[in-house]
Amino acid sequence: MATTSRALEVTVISGEGLRLDHRRPVKKNAFAVVRTNSRISRTTKTDIDGGSYPTWNEKIVVDFPSQARFLTVEVHCKTYSGEKVVGTARIPATDFAGGYFPDNYLHFLSYRLRDGKGERNGIINLSVRVKVPENRVSAAMCSGGAVPWMGGPLAVEGCSSGVVTGVPVWHRYKY
Amino acid sequence: MGGCFSDVKGGQQAVGGAQGQVAQRSHQATTNKGHNDAVDTFFKAKGLHSLCTQMEVFSDPLAVIYAKKKNGSLEELGRTEVIMNCLDPTWIEKINVAYQFEMLQPLVFHVYDVDTKYHNLPVKTLKLKDQEFLGEASCVLSEIVTKQSRSLTLNLQNKNGLSGLKSLGTLTVHAEETFASRNAVEMTFRCSHLENKDLFSLSDPFLRISRIVESGGSVPICKTEVVNNNLNPIWKPLSLTMQQFGSKDNPLVIECFDFNNSGNHVLIGKLQKSVAELEKLHKENASANLFLPPSHHRHQEKVLKSQLFVDGFCEKNLYSFLDYVSSGFELNFMVAVDFTASNGNPRSPDSLHYIDPAGRLNAYQQAIMEVGEVIQFYDSDRRFPAWGFGGRTSDGSISHCFNLNGGAGGVEVVGVEGIMASYASALHNVALAGPTLFGQVINTAAEIAGHSLNYNSSKYFVLLMITDGVLTDLQETKDALVRASDLPLSVLIVGVGNADFEQMEILDADNGRRLEGSNGRVATRDIVQFVPMREVHGGQISVVQGVLEELPGQFLTYMRSRGIEPHAVNVPPPPAQHHPYPV
Repeated sequence: MATTSRALEVTVISGEGLRLDHRRPVKKNAFAVVRTNSRISRTTKTDIDGGSYPTWNEKIVVDFPSQARFLTVEVHCKTYSGEKVVGTARIPATDFAGGYFPDNYLHFLSYRLRDGKGERNGIINLSVRVKVPENRVSAAMCSGGAVPWMGGPLAVEGCSSGVVTGVPVWHRYKY
Repeated sequence: MGGCFSDVKGGQQAVGGAQGQVAQRSHQATTNKGHNDAVDTFFKAKGLHSLCTQMEVFSDPLAVIYAKKKNGSLEELGRTEVIMNCLDPTWIEKINVAYQFEMLQPLVFHVYDVDTKYHNLPVKTLKLKDQEFLGEASCVLSEIVTKQSRSLTLNLQNKNGLSGLKSLGTLTVHAEETFASRNAVEMTFRCSHLENKDLFSLSDPFLRISRIVESGGSVPICKTEVVNNNLNPIWKPLSLTMQQFGSKDNPLVIECFDFNNSGNHVLIGKLQKSVAELEKLHKENASANLFLPPSHHRHQEKVLKSQLFVDGFCEKNLYSFLDYVSSGFELNFMVAVDFTASNGNPRSPDSLHYIDPAGRLNAYQQAIMEVGEVIQFYDSDRRFPAWGFGGRTSDGSISHCFNLNGGAGGVEVVGVEGIMASYASALHNVALAGPTLFGQVINTAAEIAGHSLNYNSSKYFVLLMITDGVLTDLQETKDALVRASDLPLSVLIVGVGNADFEQMEILDADNGRRLEGSNGRVATRDIVQFVPMREVHGGQISVVQGVLEELPGQFLTYMRSRGIEPHAVNVPPPPAQHHPYPV
């Protein structure tokens, strides 16, 4: 290919179990930043009232340089004392490009976030699809357009197993 | 449609036609006994709701439909009306049968010619032994529902199973899923004036919804997320399917808890409402008060000031599992068998791999047979990849993923009988070795599933792994499963023997903790189901039911999240709805 980068459709779906300073749950105003390198980034809207389980369902198109090896997603939140980085996830390019997947496969991916000290801090859910020129769209996705995933299983840390049963997957259909 | 019957009474009927003008048509209630027994047993054994779908079966003279039990006896499920003076009847009466994916459901049909003198009697009072038996036919319910037309034509046979020289005719069975089975409800709950349970901050409330079961207890069916520090929370919409709550009039228990990290959540209040009552609350913009149940301090329940509102209520039609399989989607079965030395020498009668000359199946054979005989109906070509792992193959090396058929011509074998034969053959050609590694088999299955996406998005792969032991590569297995969760693949693990299966429980993420890979990637969805074989002894439920019951849900989670719809063959388009929630 002549091009030196690929366009990615990244839908930032939701976050789970986000905490500030590893203790206090995020109360509000969470948003996500998608980076392909330190200079180029895209930001989602702010989820004002989602708390530590924010939902964005926002599709972002980013250029992914061919030499890049990771896509980075950060979750930030706005607090009284300013903007804080809740956690960061590094997504290897091999998770959504190459391998035995069709070129334009819609990947649903989830990653553990790490805070500034490298401590585990919640989960980010997103979907990624490599945008492919029209003449190379594979048959795999010919059966109707893909609808973004509207939610995911809750993993409430520290919850006893008796309580977390039958966790639903949310559906919001557009007809 | 149908065929010619030999009807010696036809002439008499023509003569006596006027007398028979009044044909009583009985309206039979569905016999729900078998359904409820199975569902009730499920509740007792696992506390989970089985995926049951109500079916209507159209049958083309009087036909009687039976469920064939494991002991060979027949249980009558329903009867059609009598069609008079007709050699090509199309019956009007429909018979409801509960579809249970995880069970093989053999059906037997008997067709009778009803004597003229009984024509004015209700059908259910007829004694079948007084009628002329015309023929019988049998099939499995999944054979019908996987057909594109959802119709199956069967040749009638006489009682000793022979078709004989003379054709006895054919019976065509058509199956449709009832409308209610596809229903789902999306509800948005809000509470106000919750009682504060936290000492230095406000409560962190969440809701848990449970379904009341016949034995009197309740089974949780879903919960909301936790809203922090809020006594007037609005939760994100919940989607419940008819299969989860049973019917709109079934009472549900809605409990509001204050979340605690310790896991000891404090009950803020509860109430009991059916889905129909919740819909009424929504339409009337009304609320319901929470209450606290009686305690040792207080003998009756206390009505609280706290209130529950239904801010959103939306009914919708979802594509069901049967919509997919009847339009051509398939479940492709794959098997992997543990050949590690911990199973014991196959020649020894106490080995887990012992092949009994009397024909009694060992645990591995049982698991293959029970899962395979259910799932084979969902694969049109019935060519199944079959592997072993942990054995020393004929070239002397230990392989953690070798072809069960000896590698001669590819990995696939034909039918469940092909798996059984290649398994027995492999026991003679492979030396048991070790250690127990899952990662390679899962990666191989994932590669097959991934490659299939390049030409066909209507295949979903089901890998059955049967093992006796403890994993050596738990982290590599987790990594493989996390990657596979992005693929159309489910992994069913059956544990045989008496080892400690704690690692398997970790892989089966039913405890709510999502599987996490070594590089921080987390499983997108739960694709693993584990069942130890020894649960068979406890009751009526076989291993196959425990291991297969989550499969339609896993299939649907994959398809729905990617917006993959059934092929437009039979499926009526869902009604257009204006969705009230902004996206």
